[in-house]
Amino acid sequence: MLELKKIFKWVNNGNNRVFLLKDINLSVKEGEFISIMGPSGSGKSTLLNVIGMLDEFDEGEYEFFYEPVHKLKEKQRTALYKQYIGFVFQAYHLIDELTVYENIETPLIYQDIKASERKAMVADMLDRFNIVGKKDLFPQQLSGGQQQLVGIARALIAKPKLLLADEPTGNLNSKQGEEIMNLFSELNKEGVTIIQVTHSEKNAAYGSRIINLLDGRIEQ
Amino acid sequence: MIKNYFKIAFRNLQKNRKHSLLNILGLSVALAACIIVFLVIRYETSYDKHLKGCKNIYQVVTRDQDEAGEHFTVGVPFPAIKFLRQDFPQYKFAQLMSSNNIQVTTEAAGKESGKKFYEETGMFYAEPELLKMFEISFLSGDEKVLNDVNAVALSRSMAIKYFGDWKQAVGKRITIDNAGHDLQVSAVFEDIPENSDFPFKILASYKGFESYNSAGWPLDDWGGNTSNHQVYVTMPAGANRAAMEQQLGLFEKKYNTSNKQTTRSHFLQPLSNVHFDERFSNNGDHITTPRSLYTLAFVALLVILMACINFVNLSTALAVTRSKEIGIRKVMGSSRTQLRVQVLFETGLLVLAATGIAIGLAYIVLPYVKNVFDAQGTLSLFTPATALFILLIALATTLLSGMYPAFIMGKFRPVEAIKNKISTTRVGSISLRRGLVVLQFAFSQIFIIAAIVAVSQMNFVKNADLGFTKERLLMVQLNTDSVTRSRLNTFRDALKQRSDVKLVSFSFDAPSSQSTWDANFAFDNMKDREFNVQLKQGDENYLAAYGLELVAGRFYSASDTCREYVVNETLVKKCGVNNPQDAVGKLFRIGGRRPMQIVGVVKDFKQQSLKEAVTPIAMFPSKRWYQTAGIKLASGNLQRSNAEIQQIWDKVFPEYVYNATFLDDTINEYYQQENRLSLMYKIYAALAIFISCLGLYGLVSFMVVQKTKEVGIRKVLGASVQSILYLFSKEFTILVIIAFVLAAPAAWYLMHTWLSDFAYRIHIGVSVFLVGIGASLLVAWLTVGYKSLKAATANPVKSLRTE
Repeated sequence: MLELKKIFKWVNNGNNRVFLLKDINLSVKEGEFISIMGPSGSGKSTLLNVIGMLDEFDEGEYEFFYEPVHKLKEKQRTALYKQYIGFVFQAYHLIDELTVYENIETPLIYQDIKASERKAMVADMLDRFNIVGKKDLFPQQLSGGQQQLVGIARALIAKPKLLLADEPTGNLNSKQGEEIMNLFSELNKEGVTIIQVTHSEKNAAYGSRIINLLDGRIEQ
Repeated sequence: MIKNYFKIAFRNLQKNRKHSLLNILGLSVALAACIIVFLVIRYETSYDKHLKGCKNIYQVVTRDQDEAGEHFTVGVPFPAIKFLRQDFPQYKFAQLMSSNNIQVTTEAAGKESGKKFYEETGMFYAEPELLKMFEISFLSGDEKVLNDVNAVALSRSMAIKYFGDWKQAVGKRITIDNAGHDLQVSAVFEDIPENSDFPFKILASYKGFESYNSAGWPLDDWGGNTSNHQVYVTMPAGANRAAMEQQLGLFEKKYNTSNKQTTRSHFLQPLSNVHFDERFSNNGDHITTPRSLYTLAFVALLVILMACINFVNLSTALAVTRSKEIGIRKVMGSSRTQLRVQVLFETGLLVLAATGIAIGLAYIVLPYVKNVFDAQGTLSLFTPATALFILLIALATTLLSGMYPAFIMGKFRPVEAIKNKISTTRVGSISLRRGLVVLQFAFSQIFIIAAIVAVSQMNFVKNADLGFTKERLLMVQLNTDSVTRSRLNTFRDALKQRSDVKLVSFSFDAPSSQSTWDANFAFDNMKDREFNVQLKQGDENYLAAYGLELVAGRFYSASDTCREYVVNETLVKKCGVNNPQDAVGKLFRIGGRRPMQIVGVVKDFKQQSLKEAVTPIAMFPSKRWYQTAGIKLASGNLQRSNAEIQQIWDKVFPEYVYNATFLDDTINEYYQQENRLSLMYKIYAALAIFISCLGLYGLVSFMVVQKTKEVGIRKVLGASVQSILYLFSKEFTILVIIAFVLAAPAAWYLMHTWLSDFAYRIHIGVSVFLVGIGASLLVAWLTVGYKSLKAATANPVKSLRTE
């Protein structure tokens, strides 16, 4: 599905070059559930952002569904991840000014899907996550777990092939966290490829493969 | 998509209520100013354009050359038209003679005696061709009635004013100036629009003027020339105008029989210029220079620009707090363009709200504007053109305000944006925002300085030493017929009975007057001078009544006709005599009259507005021309004196309308245009200050939020309230000073140009600039101070805890 070859990313700090990612080689097949682990500052989120095409890298090659991402222009990259990738964040990152319904709907708007179709898709999603009753509430009116559910619903609405989750349970209590992780397993069984960043061994265990990062390098 | 944009835009505006309000307030005031200016400019440029043949009508005008330079007048010598028609048979000429300050008496109806009316303007003797040229539309009769010397045509409103109903007016008789010569109302025409420089109200036969009313006018003389007599010509498109201009240039040389060496020439003035060429007077109530219209448009543009700057500053500052939303949208798959469209959409919504308020504001202000411009019917907010303009200006404002913030926000990098890592310093360049603030300060300083200069010049004009006293002088209009002349002494004696009347002087007009009477002259038996002299006819009390001063000799003694002359200093100097005393006793000849002795030299006085320099003047008695009684009043209630003098008038001249004005009021009216302009500067200075205050307030309140932590830390470290105030005000003080460096030369240039219209003007001193910068510093400090005092007095523990 995707392949990273010799990816380097650095920042220049004075005369020193600080490597955020160092010689990352990673290949992910469709249907995998990968957990990226490592201490703070090891480059987990950076790696996830690179995979999600939110962040650029300085060296190396990245192929996503046989498209050479490193050669694409921003517009093409946006088109690519718009179609295939969904994001879930630790801090949910819902738009405060939009209701639950509108938050979930937003990605569809950017994919030029017709209003009637959007309505049906959002309704399905609300139904699936049991949040129909909350559709007109604003994010601040929800608990953390509920907000993350909305965040996941939003990530899934456009039927992505790949779900990227940056510590999705980091802000949740253990019960809520467990529910989210169960949801992830379910999604994975339905065929969604998942890559998650996590601190917790327990959450990592839900995945099929664990990648350990240290100082921007994959530990073998 | 649109619906979504609309929703999010609306919620965002609601969330940042204070900023939205500041923006809407600034924009709506600026837009209202723009709308008003648009209406005014449209009104001024619409003058005479209602005539279908406007493009083909030209006015034959006159240029005179003398040592002092060129002089322009709309007047054409009376004999000229005969030769114009002879030389240019292919074109249609028409002449008119305007007649100001007339009295109309309607015919007696049964027991009721005729009603009396005073008409300052609007009476013209005209040829039928002129009425055709100016597309007079008749309700009754047609232009041909003016072939009859006894015919008169009235405008609809005049007919209603005189006879109650225009239909009843037809066939009735009126008398002009009790001339004993009745005119019959033979036609009624539709009122002339307000935006016309030809406010025809009473049109009488030109032939009638020649036969009955031309006494004293030089009908066969090339020497005299009055601006009342005007000639118009229709030239079809494609006519050879250049050839005609060339012939007109040499016209006087060919035909002028009174002065073979004449420097006078004629040329054509397109009708479309008549409202805008300040070298000439026109028959309407004012001339508008293109420059004043440009100034108006430019100033409106500056004001709207300032409001846009506010917007850009506030929204780029606000962009930081919105960075998370922008980031998420990008992650959700929004393209840059979509984000930019969204931001522009929000701007558009805000501008829309502001436009709505602006239309309301303009609607409220419009009646005042109508009063200032004397345009009751023509200035309208609800026309297609205005709607189109409002649409365009709203669109332009949206783009101008929204483009930059949209560009900036579209460029946010999603990862940084989501993590709120976008800081103020990253949002656009800080120097750009500073630059915009400087620009804003510079604009407002220009306005402040301009307003101060304009107001002080107008004060200077009001209080300037004119060389005569204008206070407590009641100017009563007299008629020039023999009946009036015979009763002048009775009138004077009656006035002298009153304790509040100090002096009475009969004269042609006041020392300072808008109408002038020029003539060629010879000094000390030499040949005619290259320049003309202005004539001032007055009786022996003229000097004392108007407080003129003699510098040599004496004033002429009582007489009904000219036996001696008094001239002014300028004339003496221009004739090459250094000591005024030497001019006394010299002979002086005006036109073809008999030479008389100069008995005195009067100190220069301003004979026109302060825009004109003093010119040579000759004064002499000539009872034939007295049409003004200058009554010098002692202290006391002027209005009551005026009312009581009217009672005397009604006894002495029962058949005439009483018409009196105070000289100082009349003189103030010379500066109508300038007063308008200075009023405008004052208003715009206030607007500019207001708008820049709004912007500053918004910006500072944002800065305060940004610096909450810094202020907290400083306070913990022991900073005083003053030092924190200093922290905030330092930057803005520097910006104000930079702005001043830009504004001062611009303002100086602007006002220097404006002042150069005045022959007598104030000097732009340093103090004006000091006040300019001082005012804008004060405004900046007050605005900054209010917001930053709050920050400085806040409890540091609170502000640090939130971090």
